[in-house]
Amino acid sequence: MLELAAYGARRRVKGALALSVGLSAFSALYAAFFPSFTGNLDLEEYIEALPPVFVEAFGLRAFDTIEGFLATELYQFAWVILLGLYLAYSAASLIAGDVEDGRMDLLLALPVSRARIVGERYLSLVPGILLINLIVAAVTWVATRAIGYPIGTADLVLVHALSLPYLFACAAIGLAISVVADRESVAQRVAMAVVFGLFLLESVVASTDYAWAGAVAPMRYYDPTAILVDGSYDLAGAAILTVATLALVAASQWYFRRRDVN
Amino acid sequence: MSVIEIEGLTKRYGDLVAVDDLSLDVAEGEVFGFLGPNGAGKTTTIRTLLGMQSPTAGRVSVLGADTTVESERLDALARTGYLPAHPSFDGQATGREVLDLHKSLKGGSRRDTMLDLFDPPLDRRIRAYSTGNVQKLGIVQAFMHDPDVVVMDEPTSGLDPLLQERFNEFLRDERERGVTVLFSSHVLSEVRRVCDRVAIIREGRLVAIEDVEALLDRSGKLVRATVIGDLPADAFDLPGVADLSRRNVDGATQVSFTFSGDVDALVDELDRYSLRELDVEEAPLEDVFLQFYGGEASA
Repeated sequence: MLELAAYGARRRVKGALALSVGLSAFSALYAAFFPSFTGNLDLEEYIEALPPVFVEAFGLRAFDTIEGFLATELYQFAWVILLGLYLAYSAASLIAGDVEDGRMDLLLALPVSRARIVGERYLSLVPGILLINLIVAAVTWVATRAIGYPIGTADLVLVHALSLPYLFACAAIGLAISVVADRESVAQRVAMAVVFGLFLLESVVASTDYAWAGAVAPMRYYDPTAILVDGSYDLAGAAILTVATLALVAASQWYFRRRDVN
Repeated sequence: MSVIEIEGLTKRYGDLVAVDDLSLDVAEGEVFGFLGPNGAGKTTTIRTLLGMQSPTAGRVSVLGADTTVESERLDALARTGYLPAHPSFDGQATGREVLDLHKSLKGGSRRDTMLDLFDPPLDRRIRAYSTGNVQKLGIVQAFMHDPDVVVMDEPTSGLDPLLQERFNEFLRDERERGVTVLFSSHVLSEVRRVCDRVAIIREGRLVAIEDVEALLDRSGKLVRATVIGDLPADAFDLPGVADLSRRNVDGATQVSFTFSGDVDALVDELDRYSLRELDVEEAPLEDVFLQFYGGEASA
């Protein structure tokens, strides 16, 4: 078991390392920027002047603390948006890419069930996601200590740990689109549009009477600002994301088992 | 027992009928050719047989397993090798990595033997492979687990003539070992060298199933000769000559015809003239169809 997942994961290590370096640089840069930033601006006034939707979308609170600052700049932006989109995009090519250029034929001729192909392809993303979280968490821990505004270790661990169900859910959305699409580029574009659309939906409806509509967006169940600023952990949200992920992967397996691969 | 059974197979894509009520059996230890022009439905038949697509109607089985049912199909696939028409591998991987993956999933007891015969550059990334090297890697993976049955779609496309010959020799050895082979092609000369029987398919329908010998006796050769000077009126008036045409070009006469008669008689006839050029080749598949299955084939 897991031969396909291990093979796929090995092929993704380089990409995950490159992304880790980029995001670590991002984190270190923001940390380096924070001391001068916090001393020179009246942030409360600045935030009050922003539209409420914007404040909601980026979780702008306690912006003058290192926790609130990183929650917005690093976690709301780089994790919820960038990494979420990237994983949906990567997962979208897991099946559609192989189908489009004929590589899937040789896989389907192996004595391996279609459900296993889909499941292991999905699992091949997991080590990369873990690696990125591990490296960036470590860099952030060191960087905030280097500037003299240390971020709490427990909060830092939790903001990363609870991001995992969110990131897995974004990847599951990409996978579901990948088993339906015949062309890789179409699957990738649709997956990014869906994840970004869900982010916009959740941000726009959050402070309205239609807040219930945001329940379909994975972003509702992962709030880095709440974790880092308030120390409140949405474990039920993590459970909902996990269940949704398992359901999407199972549905993808079910669909791929029945379709013709042309 | 038939190793491959196809019964009343029909595959439609919307209004397009790719395969139409096709039936054939391949016996154990047989090398069976599946011959037809491009677009005749060969690939669709093969992919349906291996469970990549589901049939619109009809039954397909390999080694007694219904390949439309996944649990049965996986048992059959463990003992089956497959070489697609254009094998496509992960270009970022090396040949060795791909073969290691295949070995972990289906076994590789004959991998080294195969690599002695067909030797793609294993440590190079596949995206840098030539077409011929990709095809070699495809052949190695198709046979590395010592399958009982091998299904190949246009296996020698992309191989140079020397390798084609090595491949044909290899297939004959495989037949000696009792391996059953289904082998599609659009080139008659390729099929005749290795196959016992041939199914001819056109526009999704089975036109004929023939022993190779019988097919060759009927299909004939295309003969083209350039003779110095004029030809007598009765030249090439031999049994087995058809579609004779002649044309005068600068003091020579070009003749062409298809020939399915006695080769000695043809050589004797050619010996009467002074030849500038002589070509003898397999009749093109289309001509074979027109000549022998005319009414049905062009329908």
